[in-house]
Amino acid sequence: MSQNSPDTEPVLRPHEYDGIQEYDQKLPNWWLFSWYIMMVAFVVCWVVYYQVGIGMSDEKEIATAMAKIADYQKKELEQISDDKLWAMSKDAKIVAAGSATYQTTCVACHAPDMTAMLAGAKLPGLPLSDQEWKHGNNPTQLLTIIRKGAPDVTKGMPPWEPQLGLQRVVEVLAYVLSKHSQGEPFTLAVDSPLKKAGVQ
Amino acid sequence: MTTSAAAKQTIEFNDKVVRQFMWASIIWGLVGMLVGVLIAAQLNFHELNLTSWLSFGRLRPLHTNAVIFAFVGNMMFAGIYYSTQRLCKVRMGSDLLSNIHFWGWQMIIVSAAITLPLGFTRGQEYAELIWPIDIAVALIWVVFAVNFFWTLAKRNEPSLYVALWFYIATIITVAMLYIVNHLSIPTSWTHSYTIFSGVQNALVQWWYGHNAVAFFLTTPILGIMYYFLPKAVERPVYSYRLSIVHFWSLVFIYIWAGPHHLLNTSLPKWLQMLGMFFSLMLWAPSWGGMLNGLLTLRGAWDKLRTDPVVKFFVAAVTFYGMCTFEGPLLSIRAVNALSHYSDWTIGHVHSGALGWNGMMAAGLFYWLTPRLYGTKLYSVPMANFHFWISVFGILLYVAAMWVSGIMQGLMLNSTNAAGTALTYPNFLETLTAIRPMMGFRVIGGALYLVGMGLMLVNLWLTARSGKAVNETREVTVIQRNSVDTMGLKTTFLADPVTYFFGGLFLLMGWIFLPKGADITALICSLIFGGIAVKKFAGSHASWSQWYDRLLENWLPFTLLTFVAVALGGLIQIVPTVMVNRAKNMEDRIQQVYTPLELTGRDIYVSEGCYNCHSQMIRTMLPDVLRYGDYSRMGESIYDHPFQWGSKRTGPDLAREGGKYPHSWHFNHMKDPRSTSIGSNMPSYPHLFTQKFDQKTLPKKIATMVTLGVPYPAMTDVEIKEDAIKQGIEIVNRLKEDNLSASPDTKIVAIIAYLQKLGKYDTPEVEDKLKTTPGIPTLIPGPGNPDKNRPGGTE
Repeated sequence: MSQNSPDTEPVLRPHEYDGIQEYDQKLPNWWLFSWYIMMVAFVVCWVVYYQVGIGMSDEKEIATAMAKIADYQKKELEQISDDKLWAMSKDAKIVAAGSATYQTTCVACHAPDMTAMLAGAKLPGLPLSDQEWKHGNNPTQLLTIIRKGAPDVTKGMPPWEPQLGLQRVVEVLAYVLSKHSQGEPFTLAVDSPLKKAGVQ
Repeated sequence: MTTSAAAKQTIEFNDKVVRQFMWASIIWGLVGMLVGVLIAAQLNFHELNLTSWLSFGRLRPLHTNAVIFAFVGNMMFAGIYYSTQRLCKVRMGSDLLSNIHFWGWQMIIVSAAITLPLGFTRGQEYAELIWPIDIAVALIWVVFAVNFFWTLAKRNEPSLYVALWFYIATIITVAMLYIVNHLSIPTSWTHSYTIFSGVQNALVQWWYGHNAVAFFLTTPILGIMYYFLPKAVERPVYSYRLSIVHFWSLVFIYIWAGPHHLLNTSLPKWLQMLGMFFSLMLWAPSWGGMLNGLLTLRGAWDKLRTDPVVKFFVAAVTFYGMCTFEGPLLSIRAVNALSHYSDWTIGHVHSGALGWNGMMAAGLFYWLTPRLYGTKLYSVPMANFHFWISVFGILLYVAAMWVSGIMQGLMLNSTNAAGTALTYPNFLETLTAIRPMMGFRVIGGALYLVGMGLMLVNLWLTARSGKAVNETREVTVIQRNSVDTMGLKTTFLADPVTYFFGGLFLLMGWIFLPKGADITALICSLIFGGIAVKKFAGSHASWSQWYDRLLENWLPFTLLTFVAVALGGLIQIVPTVMVNRAKNMEDRIQQVYTPLELTGRDIYVSEGCYNCHSQMIRTMLPDVLRYGDYSRMGESIYDHPFQWGSKRTGPDLAREGGKYPHSWHFNHMKDPRSTSIGSNMPSYPHLFTQKFDQKTLPKKIATMVTLGVPYPAMTDVEIKEDAIKQGIEIVNRLKEDNLSASPDTKIVAIIAYLQKLGKYDTPEVEDKLKTTPGIPTLIPGPGNPDKNRPGGTE
């Protein structure tokens, strides 16, 4: 291979392959440097992460974020009471927001009219429009069931708090409560896990 | 070429096989793309999932396999057979082998087109074909290899041209990848379990999958570019030394980049980091190919206006450049957090497949046909129209996928300002948002398909206006002892090789050695690199001489190429395969599937659910909020094959188990819209009537035991009874919700499987499991070097 300096014409290699010839141009500098930069970045980033120990691991990052969320929820929940939830059910804005979430997330099992019946067929959920409740007969108990799901999720509701966030869960509850009124005679269903546990 | 009395010989090239492969490529290309347009439409209109064998999950593998192996495969063979004979100045090694190669390959394609819609699949992307077909592929590939290397061995041209380097790399690497990734144990004629599981399977699969792109869709096409582009523009190739640098760096680095398909998953982080940075370092080598292609046009740009062949080649190389820039970008972990599982990736591969492969194919065929039939192209305006409709189609498609992918990615990852809740908790909301884009995609793909149809017509009329001709040529026969004389010692003990291995060895020390020694190894490798550069500057004439000599020796060249492509895989895969055992898992170990659940899983695989649903919650807050705690390595350790997925057209299912009651799944599989408003999932009525396969179940469990899954000892009868017993439990639960099913139907099995997803034990509980024979003992190795990180005590 012949050597060429930058100021001479490109050298044509003597050999020919089925009529195809080859120049022997120098490698473009911008191309070489973009490559070198990537190599340097590899070494630097690896050293910084593994040898110096700068940067959080993914697991730690998530643990931090989740702890922050748990903290926020704890503070929020401390302020929530049955009376407050009933009050929210009268707030048109909160109820409208809850209704929007309900119509996309809850209707599949509880039906648009909360009867858990659609065109004569029974849906997987329990009716929310009647006065017999399985998982609690006061708003804070209901809040827990929406947040954490049924005690045995294979038979009942999944937990919604992770996906929806606490605020939306509260809004949905407000929407459900808006179809009822404070002081209505709620009873626990016969098969209620709460009854078995002797809570009430 | 030393003797003046060299014998002359008239040879006739085997151009018939070139014509055969060319027509096969065009026909299969049309079929593959037609299926592509259909499945794109199915995403918009779920009603188009007409029957079980025309449903998205089964047709999507048909589309990808047809485009990769049938369209590009046949095109590659046409280009290789044509150019290799001319570059070696000799007819192909054997006409018989050429014939077996052609007809064997077409039969493989036909059998794939039959088995995939029937639901026979291995459940790994681009590696779906069942084991008897896999063996056929491997055998036909060996036939091709023998035929090709035979041609090299009897060549009348002493030196190997750069196109041949790329063909060599293609043949040996595809063989290596294909065989390793398809290692399985059959349970019947149509079903097998891969020997790898969980994270190992993921790593091997994407080592294969990524390098199928590299060595099936890129290197052979680069070889074709190096032959046909200078031919078409009649200009010398821009730079020989760029060819050398970009060839060797491309084949060496590409192999390492596979883990970029598994970023932010439970793949050990050191592999993710290697995948990401090798992808970034791959950018320049890829662009080396683009530069050598485009700069070859210097002084011939005027041809771009008049010659459709040059138009197609230039557009193809430009798309190659765009794709190989986009690829490294998508490999950055932070970008990937947005793009992965979204349509952005789909757009990326289509700009490669349609833009680079498709346009190269068109340029190649428009150049070849007139020559193979001794005539002129029937219609240049028609070819020009094909060009413009293709460009427009691709741009529409890719732009739609960019918008769709980025929009859905942003929506799925968006949280409120405080970071306490998802902005769009309902997955379907994000699906509805991208629906218009999915419409544009159908139009873009259809336009491209129309262009392909025009090419068929144009080339057909061209062929009819001429007559099939086989070129004959008088060549000088070279003396056999003048080439192919290099020994192993001169090959491997040459400075360029020893310096490279020395440097690489030290670099690996940096990655694998314990604290303190690692940084020493890095410093040593940098010093060593400096010495190598100095040595090269001083004696680069002798290095060049050695390389020129290497080019006259096909076997040493092939051996060196094999070493270059084998290293990356060995270094990444071997430690992972050794360490990924139940015994080495720290926190969670997957619960073993019951017989019914395993059956359900096989149905899940067979229906191709993995084409739209992932089973991998990434280490990212939005994923954790939406789907639950992030997936651990041990949570898929008994999954043969792994089902982490690569696209979320629907939500992730890693923790689907127990999320909804059985009745929800029952209704959802019957009519997805009844539980999920706006869903585009197909309905699966056939699962409600078809019985699951009880006969092969004992064999399947026995195979699982062979593979190291700790099943308790069960007789064949017990296995079947266990399955039916669990089925009855599910049916009884469904009855409570007024739903009825028979306990031996597929729907019951798939519900059992879905309810098991995400169930795990912690090792303390499973202490007994650890002493089970069959589970290997702890092999020390770099399983998770994060623990060696300073401050990394979490």
